[in-house]
Amino acid sequence: MAPDRDYVLCECSLEALKTFVSDQLLPYYQVNLTKAPATCLTMVRAEDSVENQEFYLGEALTTECEVEVNGQAGYGICLGDEPDRAYCLATVDALFAAGDARLPTVEAFLAAQWAAIQQRERLEFSQIMRTKVDFKLMEQG
Amino acid sequence: MGYVAVKGGTEAIENATDLVEFYRVRDQTSPVQLQQLQAQFRLAIDKIMGEGSFYAPEYGALALKQVEGDGLEAAFILRAFRATLSRKYYSAILDTKSMFVQRRISSSFRDIPGGQVLGPTRDYTQRLIDTRLVDETNEHIRAFLAGFASRIDAATPGEVTTFGKVVDILRAQGLLKEVRPEDRRVVDITREAVKFPAPRSARLQMLARAETGGIMALGYSSMRGHGGVHPTVGELRVGLVDVKVTDPAGRNRYIGRIRVTEAEMITEAQTAGKEAVPYYAIGYGLCFGQNETKAICMGILDRALRTEGNRAPANDQEFVLYHTDGIEAMGFTSHLKLPHYVTFQSGLSNLREAVDRERAAKKDQGQSSTAEPEPPEQPAVVFAENPDLTG
Repeated sequence: MAPDRDYVLCECSLEALKTFVSDQLLPYYQVNLTKAPATCLTMVRAEDSVENQEFYLGEALTTECEVEVNGQAGYGICLGDEPDRAYCLATVDALFAAGDARLPTVEAFLAAQWAAIQQRERLEFSQIMRTKVDFKLMEQG
Repeated sequence: MGYVAVKGGTEAIENATDLVEFYRVRDQTSPVQLQQLQAQFRLAIDKIMGEGSFYAPEYGALALKQVEGDGLEAAFILRAFRATLSRKYYSAILDTKSMFVQRRISSSFRDIPGGQVLGPTRDYTQRLIDTRLVDETNEHIRAFLAGFASRIDAATPGEVTTFGKVVDILRAQGLLKEVRPEDRRVVDITREAVKFPAPRSARLQMLARAETGGIMALGYSSMRGHGGVHPTVGELRVGLVDVKVTDPAGRNRYIGRIRVTEAEMITEAQTAGKEAVPYYAIGYGLCFGQNETKAICMGILDRALRTEGNRAPANDQEFVLYHTDGIEAMGFTSHLKLPHYVTFQSGLSNLREAVDRERAAKKDQGQSSTAEPEPPEQPAVVFAENPDLTG
């Protein structure tokens, strides 16, 4: 399954992301900050699973940021108070919008982070599945 | 009830604020780090976020620290903080079917698709205090984590899978029936004052942000017979769900994951007549974080509020929804601690006049008939040192 770019950038190590953007992207581009990272709210919508009645579950803290690279706007949005991540998300988003020549570098970073995230999730899930119940009837001993 | 503005307490309030801070830090222990709270007080923060109706673990930890662990106060602070931020986005509807499941069980069926996964729970442990934690060290933690990790072959971990819903099986077998149609408007109770009867969307929103103990009490009352709903857990799942929004360019974007608890409570629904086939209906619970008691009781109350013919508190929308909001209930209770001098003085004055009238009446009766003894003098000394109470 192809990784969702936003999924990788939201779930990867923040330190790895900051290092990548500052070392591999910022030296090569003029990134104009058009909207500085700021916190806001996302209202989370849900629905019940039988009648599909929609309702509002509550709000989630969100950070948004907007930049411009080579005349292309990029939007970074993520949950939490995460100004650095939102900035990095916006920068990468703008680069993809611009279809820049350094995209293979970005894609390599995304692929490496995707692999790390998958490994982390598989390990966690494997631990979770160790708590799966193996039912036996009493007479089976 | 009348109120008047008073002044004169500013210095005392400032000193009280300093004093409570003094009690928090006077033993000069190491400051509690938010990262520690977020990691090791996960369930407390989950509860605070749910009741504060604001998913922000980092601020949940901060609020918990600020108020010395008082969950209600922390939820109050979170909800107040939430009010300072502007709402920019509405998420796509959460898809709990594709949840990264950390725990899912059913008490209705032994064999469910994907199996019963106990996950992180203390349900099956004895509630014995663990004195080993008294001397817990970093070495202990490292040793535990190393041993825990060694149980999995890191080279070949299993794939992450999702789980089919138990309710889908019931539905496929024709055993589930929707409850009678009702108002399906999607109301936001933070923007629109709730009116009764409230649409189900408003009820679910209010229950999702209710105080855990409050809805547990009313859910329990229903299970004990005061409300007519004693369900079984069709499915209870805890895990992470994706949150997606539409960005300013109109694109659907993943923005992160939140932990939620979902409960689908199976109850036998009312049927039209004696000859009608009985069927099952679902009460639905969903809340922020891992808070199973809350999700289960939300599911019970969702059904109880749709049950006709009962007049128990758990069936009364206004009773349930107005009295289970922890912030509202605590706020009203706390207001009792604020000065009520004028209203109380007014009541006191009325009472004194009534007592005086009664004494005078009895004195008059005494003059006409000496059989009635004189009432004893009231002990004025009790109020003597407080001019406010001397009337």
